[in-house]
Order: sequence, then C-alpha cells, then structure tokens
Amino acid sequence: MNAFLAPNDYKSPLKPIWCPGCGDYGVVQALYRALSAIGRPPHEIAFISGIGCSSRIPGYTTAYGFNTVHGRALPIAQGVKLANPDLLVVVAGGDGDGFSIGGGHVPHAIRRNVDLTYLVMDNQVYGLTKGQLSPTSPRGLKTVTSPMGSLEQPINPLLTVLAYGAGFVAQATPADMPGMTALIEEALRYPGFSFVNIQSPCVTFGEEEQQLRAHKTRMKSLASLGHDPTNQLAALDLARAYGTELYTGVFYRNPDPPPTYEALVRQRQAELQRGEPRSRARVLDGLSSRGG
Amino acid sequence: MLEDLVVGMVGSGGDGVVSAGESLLAAVASQGFHALMTKSFGSQIRGGESSCRVRISGRKVLNPGGVLDVAVALNWEDFRRFGAELPLGPDTVVIHEAKAGPPPADLAPPGHGPRQVLAVPLGELAKSAAGTDRAKTTVVLGILSGWFGIPPEALDRALQKKFAQKGEGLLEANRKALAAGIAHARAHPLDAPRVLAPPPSSTPKLLCDGNEMCASAAIFAGCEFFGGYPITPSTEVMQILSRELPKYGGVVLQAEDEISGVGAAVGASFAGKKSMTATSGPGMSLKTEVLGLASIAELPLVLVDVQRGGPSTGLPTKPEQADLFQAAFSAHGDVLRPVLAPTGVEDTFRLTVEAFNLAERYQTPVVLLSDQEIAQRKETLEPIDVSRFEVLHRLVPTPEQLAEGYQRFAETPSGVSPLSHPGMPGGNYLAAGIEHDVRGAPTASGAVHASMNAKRFRKLGALQERADLFEREGPRDAPLGLVSWGSSAGVAREAFALARARGLPVQLLVPHLLYPVAEPVYREFFASARRGLVLELSHQGQLYRVLRMFVDVPPGVTSFARSGAQPFHADEVVERLQQQAEGLVR
Amino acid sequence: MTPVTGIDFERLTLRDALDLAILIEEEARDRYREFSEQLAAHATPEVADFFTRMARIEDRHRSELLERRQTLFGDAPSTVERRQIFDVEAPGYEQARAFMGVREALETVLASEIKAHAFFDEALPRVKDPELKALFQELRAEEVHHQALVKSELARCPEKPDDGEAYADDPVAQ
Repeated sequence: MNAFLAPNDYKSPLKPIWCPGCGDYGVVQALYRALSAIGRPPHEIAFISGIGCSSRIPGYTTAYGFNTVHGRALPIAQGVKLANPDLLVVVAGGDGDGFSIGGGHVPHAIRRNVDLTYLVMDNQVYGLTKGQLSPTSPRGLKTVTSPMGSLEQPINPLLTVLAYGAGFVAQATPADMPGMTALIEEALRYPGFSFVNIQSPCVTFGEEEQQLRAHKTRMKSLASLGHDPTNQLAALDLARAYGTELYTGVFYRNPDPPPTYEALVRQRQAELQRGEPRSRARVLDGLSSRGG
Repeated sequence: MLEDLVVGMVGSGGDGVVSAGESLLAAVASQGFHALMTKSFGSQIRGGESSCRVRISGRKVLNPGGVLDVAVALNWEDFRRFGAELPLGPDTVVIHEAKAGPPPADLAPPGHGPRQVLAVPLGELAKSAAGTDRAKTTVVLGILSGWFGIPPEALDRALQKKFAQKGEGLLEANRKALAAGIAHARAHPLDAPRVLAPPPSSTPKLLCDGNEMCASAAIFAGCEFFGGYPITPSTEVMQILSRELPKYGGVVLQAEDEISGVGAAVGASFAGKKSMTATSGPGMSLKTEVLGLASIAELPLVLVDVQRGGPSTGLPTKPEQADLFQAAFSAHGDVLRPVLAPTGVEDTFRLTVEAFNLAERYQTPVVLLSDQEIAQRKETLEPIDVSRFEVLHRLVPTPEQLAEGYQRFAETPSGVSPLSHPGMPGGNYLAAGIEHDVRGAPTASGAVHASMNAKRFRKLGALQERADLFEREGPRDAPLGLVSWGSSAGVAREAFALARARGLPVQLLVPHLLYPVAEPVYREFFASARRGLVLELSHQGQLYRVLRMFVDVPPGVTSFARSGAQPFHADEVVERLQQQAEGLVR
Repeated sequence: MTPVTGIDFERLTLRDALDLAILIEEEARDRYREFSEQLAAHATPEVADFFTRMARIEDRHRSELLERRQTLFGDAPSTVERRQIFDVEAPGYEQARAFMGVREALETVLASEIKAHAFFDEALPRVKDPELKALFQELRAEEVHHQALVKSELARCPEKPDDGEAYADDPVAQ
C-alpha cells in the first residue's frame, strides 16, 4: 500500500471558476477526503466529465482528468475503464449533461455495469450558460428559457437510475459534509456502477429555497426514516419524493453485486487465450475465406 | 480462349443466386484464377431481387468490370430492376430460365442484339436431377462449367462446402444438378467457344473482402479497443473484431449509439490503448463532435468510414465516394485530420496499418475512407507478407521528462509532444476539449490558442512529403493525366492500361492520402499533365474540388464524376481520355 | 470503512486533542485562504484581503498549538487525521458570496467562532482526562474571546447593507 495520501494531495493548483458559495466547492472537498480515505495515488485515477460548471471538477484534482464534450462522459469513461480496468474511474457532470443530452447513455452505462462512480451535481439549472431550464427544473420554474414558467415535468434522476437497475444509488448535499464524504467514499468502493445525486445548488441562478442554508433545514437522512437500503422497492418509493423531499443517504445498495462488465470480459479473454498465445503477425493465417 | 470473363447472375432472394456466385468464386480461386465478386440487392431483408457479378481472369482483376460477358437471368422482372448495374452488350451470352420467356425488347441497347440468347429449362433440369427446382442455380453452375471451362472438380468442392452441413441428401442432389447442367451444356454447345484460359499458376488464392481485411489489419497493427455501432456496410468490421479481438486480449464494445461508440474509443485511447471505430456516412456525421474532441486533445484514433450512397440514409447498400468533404472538413474549428483511402481489398490491409501508424505518430484521429464496394466485395489475393509493415506506437514521456515536471502539450519542433496515460506515475494531466496551455490547463488566451492551433497543424506538416502514399504509373512527362481514388481507382487502372495500349500519352495518379492535400505531389503531376480527368463517384466530384482548394489544377483537367450506385466502366473512361487527348493536338 | 468523523472523546489523549485542535485551526486557515482566492478571482478585493488576514490569524493559532505540541510530545506521529473533522471552525462553503461586504464577512467569522465554541462545549462533558479537560476549556474560552473581538469590529462596521452586487456586471455565459 502506498504512503498516506492527504486530501490536499488530490488538490490541483488550478483555481476553480465556480462562484463563491457554489455547492461544488463542498463536493470537491469531500472528494479529496474520500479519495484520501481510499488511498489510490492520483496517477491511478481517471476523472472524466462532460461540459458544465460541475464538469470542470477534474481539473481541480491531481488525477488524470478528461473534460470531454457535453453529455458523453459516461461512454468515454467506460472506454477508459475497459481499456485499463485497474484504474479508479470517476465520472462527473451536471443534471443537464447527465439527463438531457446525456440521457441516452445512462441506461446503458447502468446495465453494462462497468465499475465506475457517477457523481451528478444536480442544481436544476444550466449554470455555465447562464440560467436556462434543465431537465430537473421543477414545473413552473421561471428561467431565461421559460420566462412564463416551465411546462415540463422534471425528470427524476433517482427514480430513473434506480429503475434502470443501478446497484448503488445515493443522494447527498454539501450541507452535510461528513455525510456526503461518506457517501462518495462508499460509492467509490462499490464494485460496479454507482451513482450519487448531489444536490449542489447554483448560487447565481438557483432559487433561494434551493440554497444550502435551506438544505440544512430541509434535509432528512434515509437512515433516520429507518430505510433498509437493500430494499429496492422501498428505495423506488422513497425516490418518488424527489423534488418534494431532500432525502440523503443510500437509497439502494445491491447486497449481492453482480460481476462487472470488465470482469466478464477478462474471464472471456482468459478462456479464449487458453493454450497457445496468439501472434498478431499471424492474423492473416486465420482468414476465413479461402479458395478451395 | 478468354483472358477475362465477367458473369452476372440475377434472381430473387430465394433462388440462391448470390450463394451460387460464392461457390463459383471459391471454385475459381482454388484453381489459381484471379477473381472478384460483388453483390447487389433490393431493399427487402430476404426474398427481394438479388444479383451478383463474378469477374474471373488469369491476370489480376482490377475492378468488377463493365459490360457482362455472361448474363444469367432467372426472371426478367428482377433483371430489369438492376438496370445499368448489369449492362448487356452485343457479345453478351444471355442464359435465361426457359419458362421466363425471351428477354423483353427494352433490356438490350437499341440496335444491338445479344449474340446468343439461350433459353435453358433450369427448373426442369433441377427437378429431374435433384428432385427440386430450387437446385436451379446449381444447374447454372454446371452450365457455366460446360460452356466456359470452369473446372467441375473445383465446383464440386465448393458444393461440398456449401451443402455438407445443410442436411442429408442435399449434397448428393446438388451434385446431380451440377452434372445435369454440365450435360446440358455439352449437348448444346455455343456456336463459338468461349472457354476461359487457365491461369498461369494453379496455386489456390486467398479470398477476402474489404471489411475482413480491415479488421485483420487492425489486429496486426495492435488495436486493443474497438467501440462502434452496427451500420451497413461497415458492421462486419465490428462483428469480426468482436469474435477475434478478445483472443488477443482486446475489447470490443457494441455501444448504444454511434456517439457512445466513438466516445468509448476515445476514452480507451486516453487510457493508452490503440483504438478504433467503424461506421458509414450517417454514423460519421454523428461522431463529428467527438472527433473534434480527439483532435484538440491530441489523441490517436482510427475511424473507418465505409462510404455508402448519401446524403442522410441515402442508399445503404450501394457504393459512393461522397464522404470526402465530411472526412476532411467536419468538426467545427480549425481541425486538420488525415484521410486515407484504400482502392481494393488488398491495399485495405496496408492502409489500415498506415492509419494506425499516422494516428499514433501524430496523436490525431485518422479517417480511413473505404466504400461499400471494397468492403463487401470478395477478391482473390496473393499472400501478404506482413513483415514488410512497420507498426508505430505513440511517443511516451521518458522518466526524465516525467520527473522534470511533465507538460502534456509542450511546444516541440515537430509539434508532437509526448503522450502519457492514466496509470503512468508523474504523467498526470488534464485532457480537455477546451483550449489549453502546455500543461493542459484551460485557457481563453488568443496567443496561446494561436500557438496551440499552430502546433496541431505543424505536427501534420510532414504529410506533405509522403509521396509513398501515392501511386504513380506511366511516363512522368505525359501530358494527359488520370487521377482517381477509392474503388474508382480500380477502373482507372484498367482504363489507364487500355489507353496506353491505344497509344495515348497518359500518366496515372492514385492518391491514398486524400487529406491534407500533399501539394508537392500534385504540383509535380500537373506540371506535365495539363489535360485529363479526375475520376470519382460523387455528384460534386469531391476530390476534384478539394484539389482546387489547395493546388492549381490545370483547366484542361476536368472532373469525371457522377452519383454513386453507377460505377464507372473502363471503356467509358478510355473514351473520355481519348476526347481529352484530342484537345492536346491543338 | 473509515468513519468520516468518529472521534471517541472518552479515549482521546492529550496529544490527540492537541493534534485535533491543530487540524481544526488548519482547516479554518485553509478555508479562509480558499475564500480569499475565490473572492479575489470574483472582483471582491476588500473582503479577499479580510479573509487573508483571517487565514493568518488562524495560522498563528495553529503555530502556537503546534509549539505546545512539540514541547510536550516532540515529533511523535499523529494518530488523528484531517478527514475526521468537518468544518468545525472553518466556515461552510455557502458562507462565501461574490461581491460580499465586510459586514457579511465578519458575520461569517462570528458564526465560525460560535461553531467552534459549540464543538468544545459539547465535547467537554465526554472528556475524562483532567489535562484534556483543561485544554478544551482553554480553547473554548479562546473562542469566546475571539467572538468578542469580532463583535467589536462588527460594531465599528457601517450598518448599511452592502451593495456590491448592484454595481457588478451581469454573469457571463461560458
């Protein structure tokens, strides 16, 4: 095991562009601490993100970072992990990046069950581009692209991810830093696709009642409700309250995690490579079409 | 004796015409002939009109050929649907199912009649020999054997391969059908013999199609990750790799969509592995944004675009060469991306390896522009000596560079900066689509942006000197020039030989590197070739236009281009060259 | 799994307690430094300077505690970790705001001192060791003193609400 890595060993010198008061500062701080608890050196961590304020987060860590394009962090991250399953792969983005343009990739990342941790900083708005509607904006919300109030029902990220069968689903808020740190750590340790929806308010474009001060009074831990996180149905039921209640903690943790995609690939490669090792220089020997 | 025989066969999907073509191809290849087979279908999954074309020769076959020497029609409605794809000429021997009646008047060019139109009771012969009229295509093989000299033992071996697994008695029945066809041919000889000359060597040839060759080459080049999505006509690349690549420790991901496929491939490249994706025009359109990401993040990637008829859904099963603009120019911003193009199955191997080498060496996405004809046609090959191919790997930082404070995007004279990957201690960096400084930190500085753009372009400057990625034939001072790429180059090669035989002063240029335009090569070519043609299958003549963007194309060199699904024939190209040559006299 | 907090006050040694106190000051110092950087990057220089000063003050507290620790325990390795404490004296991230005024900043600091006071206050009943008790009482008293200082500065501060926001440019889409 490596020498002890302090949280600050994961902090890069790059100054965040985030507005003072942004919830994402708490998220990255919690991430430093969670990574320190796990102890993987930064060069063994690949941090992939999309586009958005929250997607800037890889650059604020000392890990290998890849700030990709809007909505495509999950596929790119899966490619990273499949290419080198020994890496710790973390994925981050906002609610728009993940559930609007990126929405088509969510079910497949979940069902493929590549071992990575997806942190979504959910603030119900598009901050980087100045305050437009997002897929988790509540109905009726007035924004610059919904001046008369949004006409759409918001997507429920918790219900969506649970329904697609994710093995670890949690929600956190920077208003509870110890809790959020513990959840991020647990998600990173979970062997398979893990998801933490982080209610990280936008201090510039978010609603007043969504700010962290409000979280402190509104939040309720699932543990305090007596929720059993191995109960998927109960988790789905509690997830329906997204938007009304701010539940924190683990909604669902699969007590018997299935093998990850890359573990199955490795198994298959081992089976296929049993016996004679293959030489790429002899690839044409195996040409299936032959005369006569 | 015939040096070259082009056979076209048409039926409906249930007749097994294409399958018969494959047996014919396998038979002649096993005898040492050179051969090439293409297929063409209607739009149904099964049972629609279907056709194949097999060209057989003792010499290397350069393209599928033009006018048919032999046309086999099981019915005329289906035959008509293929139109100009299967042209009949005055010397074509037309064999048709007797029950279908004589060919309709409109199917032969006016004023010309086929020399021999032979009604053969194929169904009846099949029924009496094999017990079912479904064996009529096997009877056809027998007829072809009897009239044109295809060795019957070779056909028998092909039948064995086809029917051995398909049930008791089928092989026997089809052997009888073959014999019945041969007997019929012998009993009704052609009025002038048309027998294929035996090939110079009887060593069996390898058979392969473009997609399989591409997949094999990728394995050879060290590809370890493929991310993609099914799309006609590229899907076979993914299918073959999904079966083979894991045997070499690689991973194939059929992703949920085109964007995810290329995204995963870019991720794998970021993680240090050689990776690729394969698609066709519509998929490439979707992948555009991620290609731009790979360009600015300076990550190697091979993207195979097997062109088909466009735009949009277009003609999924037909060849066209209209993706050059997209391959070269798509992705917003100033992006320079190498584009390579094979011309046939054999050079698909070499150019796929080259694509990986360019990608790794220059840390960039590289587009390999194949097309439906190359990808799905089967042709014979001489064995390929892979030891002549160099395989290159990305430049990684040295331990000293890592210890001294690694700068991922360091300014270097060549423009190529060493590339680390996750897992490499000391190589940690931020890769991003956003513009960045030498360390990878985001920047909005105009000066840094200008120098980064310059770096990304500078590193590809060496491609201007890659004359080895061009084929030149003919005298270097010939005043008539013929330029062609992709599958059209096969026709150009044949036209070039015919034109030279006629005494035309012509030289041939076949670019494999389409973009960036290697200006020195073209300047030298057009210095003497002041008249000529740029031959390609697209409505706009895309290479012609791209050349005009970067070099002074002489006004006497014109574009000979037309929409896909109507491949060129050598004869029409020779005619045009002849016309161009007349302009020289003045 | 490592608990994120999980300080067992009953088993805490004097050395641990000093190390904890040092970490608490360190966390506060780092947070004030961060706030200073954030506000400097967001056109709020006066308060950025203020937080720089606060960071220095916390650093001084830290140094004093460190000296004590060195005298008593030398270089003996610490068994407590930064990740066992969360925002004990460090203000929460939501306390920073672009264009915030000095009054608001002082209120933030006051709230932090009150938090720190509460921490020691709540810990005291669980602490058995008399030396440790003495230390915590001392630290608690310090916080009271700090609060008094801050309150007097607040009194000197103009009452009017800060209007930095009103003068600032609109946010910029990126």
